[in-house]
Amino acid sequence: MNEKALKDLLFKIADDQLIIGHRNSEWNGLGPILEEDIAFCSMAQDKIGQSLQFYMLLEELGEKDPDTIAFTRNANLFHNCQFVELPIGDYEFSLMRHFLFDHAEYIRFNMLSHSSYVPLSELAHKIKGEIKYHIMHANTWIQQLGNSTNEAVKRLQKALNSTFPYALGIFEESRFEGDLISEGIFEGEQKLRNKWLNDIDSVLGKTKLILPDLAAESAHLGGRYGEHTKHLQPLLNEMSEVFSIDPTAEW
Amino acid sequence: MYGGGNTFEKLQTKNVEDEDPQLLAVFEARIERGEKIEPSDWMPDLYRKQLIRMIEQHAHSEIIGALPEGTWVTRAPGFKRKLALMAKVQDEVGHAQLLYSAAETLGKSREQMIDDLISGKSKYSNIFNYPAYTWADSCFISWLVDAGAIVNQTANSRGSYGPYCRALERICIEESFHLKYGHHCVIHMATGTTIQRKMMQEAINRWWKPMMHFFGPSDKISAHTEILMKWKVKMDTNDNMRNQFLDMYVPKIWELGITVPDPKLKKNNESGRWEYTEPDWDEFKRVINGDGPCNAERIAVRRMAEQRGRWVRKALLSPKSKYVTPLA
Amino acid sequence: MESLDPRLNRVNLEDKSLLKPKVALDQFETYETFVQTNENKPYQHEGVVHAPNEDMAFLFAKEQFSRRGTCSGISVCKTENVIVSPTTENGKNIYDEYEPHGSELHEYEKYEVFHLFRRGKQHQHIGQVEASSYDEAFNKSKAIYNNDKTVLNVWLVKTENILFVDENYRDIWHTLSEKQFREATAYRALDKIKKFKEENS
Repeated sequence: MNEKALKDLLFKIADDQLIIGHRNSEWNGLGPILEEDIAFCSMAQDKIGQSLQFYMLLEELGEKDPDTIAFTRNANLFHNCQFVELPIGDYEFSLMRHFLFDHAEYIRFNMLSHSSYVPLSELAHKIKGEIKYHIMHANTWIQQLGNSTNEAVKRLQKALNSTFPYALGIFEESRFEGDLISEGIFEGEQKLRNKWLNDIDSVLGKTKLILPDLAAESAHLGGRYGEHTKHLQPLLNEMSEVFSIDPTAEW
Repeated sequence: MYGGGNTFEKLQTKNVEDEDPQLLAVFEARIERGEKIEPSDWMPDLYRKQLIRMIEQHAHSEIIGALPEGTWVTRAPGFKRKLALMAKVQDEVGHAQLLYSAAETLGKSREQMIDDLISGKSKYSNIFNYPAYTWADSCFISWLVDAGAIVNQTANSRGSYGPYCRALERICIEESFHLKYGHHCVIHMATGTTIQRKMMQEAINRWWKPMMHFFGPSDKISAHTEILMKWKVKMDTNDNMRNQFLDMYVPKIWELGITVPDPKLKKNNESGRWEYTEPDWDEFKRVINGDGPCNAERIAVRRMAEQRGRWVRKALLSPKSKYVTPLA
Repeated sequence: MESLDPRLNRVNLEDKSLLKPKVALDQFETYETFVQTNENKPYQHEGVVHAPNEDMAFLFAKEQFSRRGTCSGISVCKTENVIVSPTTENGKNIYDEYEPHGSELHEYEKYEVFHLFRRGKQHQHIGQVEASSYDEAFNKSKAIYNNDKTVLNVWLVKTENILFVDENYRDIWHTLSEKQFREATAYRALDKIKKFKEENS
């Protein structure tokens, strides 16, 4: 098995989950409706818990422990797509990102549950149920708000337009894409992207929202190999503020 | 999380003497037998209003109580702390949700309660008007403020109003996680590096005063408080609860080599009561009435959250929907 | 307003538009929530959520009432669709004390029955009856479900008014047992205190 290819895949998933979980946790205690505050926070916890499990797979492959990996790297060493690092914005922005990102994630984990790397297929299989709820949550919100008042539709459409090019960045291909596919580790970003377009289109089709024209959009790429927006480094500084007082201490 | 202290002032209600004596006798006999009052039962005006105020203040204390610890939610060090603190702050929001629902069964809508919070009309536990300067402050809150809340809530869960007791039972189970988590954090800080120990000691020094305020001033025992104790609305005196807290937790603080910033603090072994410097109750009143370090920010945050939810509610509220009081 | 919470420095807390007075009553209605902790246990009432409709109520109820322990199912129904009997006390059975009368006749349909056995505790789901009115449903559940346990209060809900989660969705709770960070048992540190005391005595 091509370990470099495998690690490349695990890193981008782990970093995606950590950063989106962290961003979504910023709503913790400040959400727009009490019940939604609770639900959104649970999903953020799920994502951070998932990232931890992916970092643990990496640790088994010889990388450092999860805390060190997550709390001491600089932005240029992170493999997450730029999409997840953008600030939370207003609620419609966070909801739309949740919808677009989690649909990709759901398909990705479904694919990975058949991975030839058994620890990965087992993990993916296990967390599929969690993401099933995330998708149910996202679809319900987008469909209900997307068919409601003009104000809500306008807000969501604006969020969709601004997030879409970033969402396309989720599918930036790995340097080892060919190896991952040929070794049966992962079916590949291209396939994932096509299925994703199909899935989100079928949900958006039931709303007043319009999917931006794919031909006119270009994806924000680079995140997978350390090119990030100006938002990631401050996020990491904040996240590790206490940890870095003494990284060897037990907190 | 919740402390007493500002709950049992006089309310404008119907005089107990003016209530229907027969109904009152049935009501009191039920409480006397140890049975709970359920929302559909007849209850005296004073009972209803006092409970609404008390449960509502408790709910506000949970939602506002999520903020000082929330200060550190994006900065918790390491996965274990990050996940735990998120779950804990989430629980506080969850507790507010449960308590607002319990208060709603008495006839005040959640929206009205939140309006009263935002407008400054109703109060919440004073301790949350103090700032969490460092990570160690959040550790203090998770352990000791929650410990104080548990003393208070365990007493109240033996009260007479069914929906409040049910909510508190659930809350107390979740608080046991908070308490253990908080203690775990403080143990790691206190037995950790020199910097960690110093951070922890400074947090205790900052928070001890509001912690002593937490249970409120000594009760003035009046006919009013006596009847509320008889109806199992007020379950214990503020001083007793403070004493119970000191008894349970001061030894646990001391065993970690942390000092408590009160030279007079010691247990009188003859009386079994703790002796301490009398807290500054003028400051307590000043802060309750709005002049604390964080009052304005706390309320502004809730106002913002409400405001940010408006378009969502407006979008989804069906014109046919009809709010009715929840059942239990 | 400079906050110690970095999240709050990214929003404008002093936005004056936040001071606009609120339009009257825009809160959602309430949904009663019932939780089944495992497949052999009855659904039990756990509380309410505010929600605009059933689907959203389910989303909210799941994380408010089943984010710990175990769960195999949740059901929600609009509060106004629960028909409630009077409540007895002191060992009196509501089925002996109360005779229902006057509810409207409908087509035959299914009703879900919930019992309260002790004041201060939760209502439990007991079973289902078929009837043409709430009165008949009450009488039928008296005939079928009134055994040696004293029932203090009965709730009836038409089955069509209650949303039970689909069996295919049970796996959304499968990783609940791994959320150990939400449990008190994950935070034992007595050995650390012991070691500290030994080193400092």
